[in-house]
Amino acid sequence: MYAASMNEAPDRGSTPVQAPQADASALLLRVAEHRDKQALSALFTLFAPKLKSMMLRLGANEALADDLVQETMLTVWRKSHLYARRKGAASTWIYTIARNLRIDHVRRLSSRPYADVEAIEIESDAPSSQQIIETNETVSRVKAALAILPKEQMEILSLSYEHDLSQTEIAEKLGLPLGTVKSRMRLAYEKLRPVLGDLQ
Amino acid sequence: MTVAHHPQPETLMAYAAGTLDQAYTVVIATHLAMCGACRGEVAHLEDVGGAILEKEAEAKIGADALDRLLSALDGSPEEEPRPAPIKRHEGVPSPLAPYLKGGLESIEWKRKGPKAWLAELEVPANSHSRLVLLKVGAGAAMPEHGHGGHELTLILSGAYNDRFGRFAAGDLADHDDDVDHQPIAEEGEDCICLVALDAPLAFKSRLMRVLQPLTGL
Repeated sequence: MYAASMNEAPDRGSTPVQAPQADASALLLRVAEHRDKQALSALFTLFAPKLKSMMLRLGANEALADDLVQETMLTVWRKSHLYARRKGAASTWIYTIARNLRIDHVRRLSSRPYADVEAIEIESDAPSSQQIIETNETVSRVKAALAILPKEQMEILSLSYEHDLSQTEIAEKLGLPLGTVKSRMRLAYEKLRPVLGDLQ
Repeated sequence: MTVAHHPQPETLMAYAAGTLDQAYTVVIATHLAMCGACRGEVAHLEDVGGAILEKEAEAKIGADALDRLLSALDGSPEEEPRPAPIKRHEGVPSPLAPYLKGGLESIEWKRKGPKAWLAELEVPANSHSRLVLLKVGAGAAMPEHGHGGHELTLILSGAYNDRFGRFAAGDLADHDDDVDHQPIAEEGEDCICLVALDAPLAFKSRLMRVLQPLTGL
């Protein structure tokens, strides 16, 4: 069928969210440019259940997890003009907002250094729309690469990105030397690096 | 600025995952302010976070949660209020500015040896790391030392040489536990470094080791 040949998304079996992620970038731009509340509602439907799951796993109770999801989505609304300038994958941008809230509220440290670096990055360049597509594809490629990562390397990434554990905390939790945690992280990096996009 | 020495990939990954302690975060962010290549690298590593969020399981969201969000929008300012800009001084990148409000000239150095000075910067009380400025006089050697844990050293001004090469402004030395090296500051200018160190105890023991030959303690 003609329409099908236009859409050559690789069949990744039961991974259903490739098309919605491309849509998510368009939704974010509608929020940024048109202050479109329907687009924000659609983003909420896509991301709120995942964000809440993430916050619950970090030890937040039901009420705090709900509050952090609200705050993440409210920040998406308020800062969407910054997304419109920086672009990239929607899920990556929303991930960074949730990460920064997590640093402020769960770790009780300051995410201000991240905000300062983001401001520098926005001043220094603005990716083209071509790069938006590439970055959405990058996230899909990273997901595929994560699926075939050796178990012990995926465990380290998961404890770091999902469970918010430092390398020292991961070493303690797994009963491994810190050097082993670092070298597994390095091996995961080397496996992922080819799909992450151009070397700078 | 040409930066020759960068953080280890696993350090940038931990930064992208948001799991570095405050002092390490500030040192990496300050390096990022000086290094476009590493900013690009961190953007890539944040895509790993995006991919992991997409794979995340879904928790049940309360029926009223979306309405709560939409009604909050009406009372919300149109844009996130920008944090008040912090006055920046010459040679102080923005991620470091909150810790150095008076600029590099107003640092209260504590003399730790004939040609070594140290100033401790204030990090949140629950930090597990310390943020210090280290100044080594032009031409002076830091005593040879091993590291009591993870240490990040970012050169802010001047330069030093050790067996890993020449480290000048913007360069970052990312060393672990048992790396022995003997940095020697270049002639002509004091070398000022921003250093993140492990928890107070490790810091003290390491500091004692570094300073012993200088102070004779």
